[in-house]
Amino acid sequence: MKPGFRGSERQFAQIKRKRKPACVGCYKFFIWLAAFLLFSGKIFAANVPDDFSTANKLYAEGKFSDAANLYKKILASGQTSPNLLFNFGNAEFKAGNLGKAIAAYRRAELLAPRDSEIRANLDFARKQVQGPTVSESRWQDWLGQLTLNEWAILAAIAFWLTFILLAAKQIKAAQVSSLREKQNNFTGKMPALFLRRAIFICGALAILFGVATGLQTAEHFSNQSAVVISNDIVAKSGPFDDAQKTFSVRDGEEFLVLDHHDNWVQVDDGSGKIGWLQLKQVEVLPGA
Amino acid sequence: MPKSERATFFCLAPETNPEHFSSRIVFFSIVRYAFRVGQTLQFRLSNYLRTFFTAVVILTVLALTRVNGATFTASLDRDTISLGETATLSLTFQDGQPKNIPPLDVSGLRFVQTGNQTGFNLVNGSMSSTVTITYSITAQRTGEFEIPPLSADVNGQRLTSQPLKLTVEKPHTATDAEIDSGKEIAFAKLTLPKKDIYVGETILADMQLYYRQDAQLTQQPQVTGVAVDGFTVGKIAGGNQFLTQIGNTVYKVIPAKVALTASKTGFVHVGPATINLVLSLPSNRRSDVFDPFGMLTREEKQIPVSTKTLEAKSRPLPSENVPANFNGAVGSYSMTVNAGPTNVTVGDPITVRVQIAGRGAFDDVKLPDQSNWNNFKIFSPTQKTEFSDQLDLQGTKTFEEIVTPENADVHNLPEFSFSFFNPDDGKYHTLTQPPEQLIVRAGGATPLPALAATKNSSSENQTPQDILPIKNDLGTLEQISAGRESREPLISSPIFLGVQSLPVLAFLGALIWRKRADNLANNPRLRRKIAVRQLIQIGIGDLKKYASENNSEQFFATLFRLLQEQLGERLDCPASSITENVIEENSKLRGAPENLCADLRELFQLCNQARYAPVRGTAELNSVADKFEMVIHGLQEVNA
Repeated sequence: MKPGFRGSERQFAQIKRKRKPACVGCYKFFIWLAAFLLFSGKIFAANVPDDFSTANKLYAEGKFSDAANLYKKILASGQTSPNLLFNFGNAEFKAGNLGKAIAAYRRAELLAPRDSEIRANLDFARKQVQGPTVSESRWQDWLGQLTLNEWAILAAIAFWLTFILLAAKQIKAAQVSSLREKQNNFTGKMPALFLRRAIFICGALAILFGVATGLQTAEHFSNQSAVVISNDIVAKSGPFDDAQKTFSVRDGEEFLVLDHHDNWVQVDDGSGKIGWLQLKQVEVLPGA
Repeated sequence: MPKSERATFFCLAPETNPEHFSSRIVFFSIVRYAFRVGQTLQFRLSNYLRTFFTAVVILTVLALTRVNGATFTASLDRDTISLGETATLSLTFQDGQPKNIPPLDVSGLRFVQTGNQTGFNLVNGSMSSTVTITYSITAQRTGEFEIPPLSADVNGQRLTSQPLKLTVEKPHTATDAEIDSGKEIAFAKLTLPKKDIYVGETILADMQLYYRQDAQLTQQPQVTGVAVDGFTVGKIAGGNQFLTQIGNTVYKVIPAKVALTASKTGFVHVGPATINLVLSLPSNRRSDVFDPFGMLTREEKQIPVSTKTLEAKSRPLPSENVPANFNGAVGSYSMTVNAGPTNVTVGDPITVRVQIAGRGAFDDVKLPDQSNWNNFKIFSPTQKTEFSDQLDLQGTKTFEEIVTPENADVHNLPEFSFSFFNPDDGKYHTLTQPPEQLIVRAGGATPLPALAATKNSSSENQTPQDILPIKNDLGTLEQISAGRESREPLISSPIFLGVQSLPVLAFLGALIWRKRADNLANNPRLRRKIAVRQLIQIGIGDLKKYASENNSEQFFATLFRLLQEQLGERLDCPASSITENVIEENSKLRGAPENLCADLRELFQLCNQARYAPVRGTAELNSVADKFEMVIHGLQEVNA
């Protein structure tokens, strides 16, 4: 009890409860705010399965454009999944938007590179395009079997294992020293051979996965590609409207992105044709 | 490159350039230090581990070392060209990635980007990267041109190159008199089949390259440029070589056809066409005794030749009797339309294939208008052009599209009409395909057929006919940040990168622990010192306990043992050999403070007395314990 306070324990507790400091209100406010922020995503996300089902129904009814718009709305809400992008690609394909379909399949493929259905539909859509498509080299194909995040996690696991095993080796050596300290006649043994082999294997894997992660990162940030989402457009020799026409471009054609300038993107079809297209005419995708 | 003009601008001002060198000095110092650390760890770490450690340090330093000395160089492969020839402009960025390169725009010059290459060099441990962007420059007129200073953002800094000069000269064109004299080694002629053409019409210009019979081509002739005004140049196809005589000279002639399409009305021009020849000619030197006529010794010579400029009149297409569905096709064409299947249900796909065959500019041939196809949903068509000649003028353009009937009231496919202008007869023509009968039933759905037209039955069995159906499972949802279309990769997350330092820290912790354990194992005095300290700590607790219990016998027995242990450790002799006499006899304790020795003596005497008169009070025992603590503290500070 506080010195100088006269009254029973119960009265003291009541008064203590009334004399809440100002920070308690703030504290509650922040708890509510945190709870709101934590669950708001789930509340909004709760509509996603319903919208997804509705879009699937529209697709089944042959209302492909409506289905595509609904899938697009879900994607615009900040939620994505390989299956959502796959269905979006299907709806765009059926609605006749070949470029948008290819872009959606490629986004789905970035999230799930080993999904055979996404690959099949992407290949099928690409066959409908009469023009250049982005072809991948063998090593790019091999690296593309895993996403950039998967490579990064593998590299991190191998890196962690290497250093944990190195630490274990040091701890084991320290224990041997301690034992020798206690028993003067203790001859001591070097850490087991398997530990050294494990360190070597994990180190090699860490380097291998690290290199793969580095290459994928370079692909992701520098090798962007563009999918044409408009029909009957013309590439220009410069990033301005009255520049000379260089070559015509069709819906669904894929190009490597060389440069950006304001609302223009410079593209290369891989056979030496270089031109500028407006950003609204293409969808720019990361390399990996 | 003697003729080239080169302008270099260093990213750093001269006074700041030393930073660049100092960063390299720091880099090499770190690498040397890494090797030294590797060597000092030699006795502890095995060879491969040392190599791994050194490699990790070097790679980390390499990754973290940012070379600031970026340069931007603009250069031309040559500073003088003939009209029709092409020069190459190279923008080279060393040690930096360029951003925001402005478009090149010089009146009278045409720039087309031809390449973008990135390379890395490792010289004497110094790594540098080079980005080279190349442009081909074609001049549209003669004169002196200045390529203005170019600016680009490199590593966050704005770099500017210096201006370059390019001189475009009139190419050497042999006059008729020179040609007829037969003195020219080589020359070229260009002729147009007609001088009165329609806009959009494609004509074949004859280009003939003449060179003397005694000359030999050492390389294939290169058409370096065909200057045009109002024409679009198509493909060039070569013919069979033949001989002809002009004056007294026999020439070899290489004929070629050039496809030219008039792109504007009014007077249009073609030429000069510039051709580079590399010929092997009989030597003019007569000094050789064995070859007085210069027949055996030959010399190679590069000879650029160019044609005259020709003019033609391009007329607009007639404005009378223009078909409503005419959309710009000029040439001579025929059309066939196929559709199938023709017995379908509502929503079933029908593949419509339109083939337009003939001669003309196929780029201007577009799918006929289908605005009257009201009861059909039309999917985006595909198109494919197959040429049957070398000049890409004759061939077949195939359009394929999927249409689906929207209701069962549809009974036929609407008619197709395609109109074109034939410049040979100067008239518009319209080709019409009559409506095709359809049987459309209500309800049901079948998958879309494949669009490819030229597939045989066996390949159709192997290739998929349609996309795979949608998935009913939403799968695992991922949250992506607003405004982004994909998730930020882990590799760019600071938390992910920061977490990777934890195993390194754990390893360093274990390494320090091991070092400490090794030190202890190799130093028995240190071991004993630590053990005695622990014993004293426990012993002081025991003394307090015995004092509170008034157990003087145990108290003094413990006190004596602790004094023996501490003095034994300090004097590096067995604890059992320690008696009160040690204080006087041992030289090491002689240097200790006098009061410490007096207190030690007193404690020993108390222990001796306790053997004969063990009973003491708790307060007295506590004061002895406090004194013991003080003495032990003093002893631990004595240099032994």
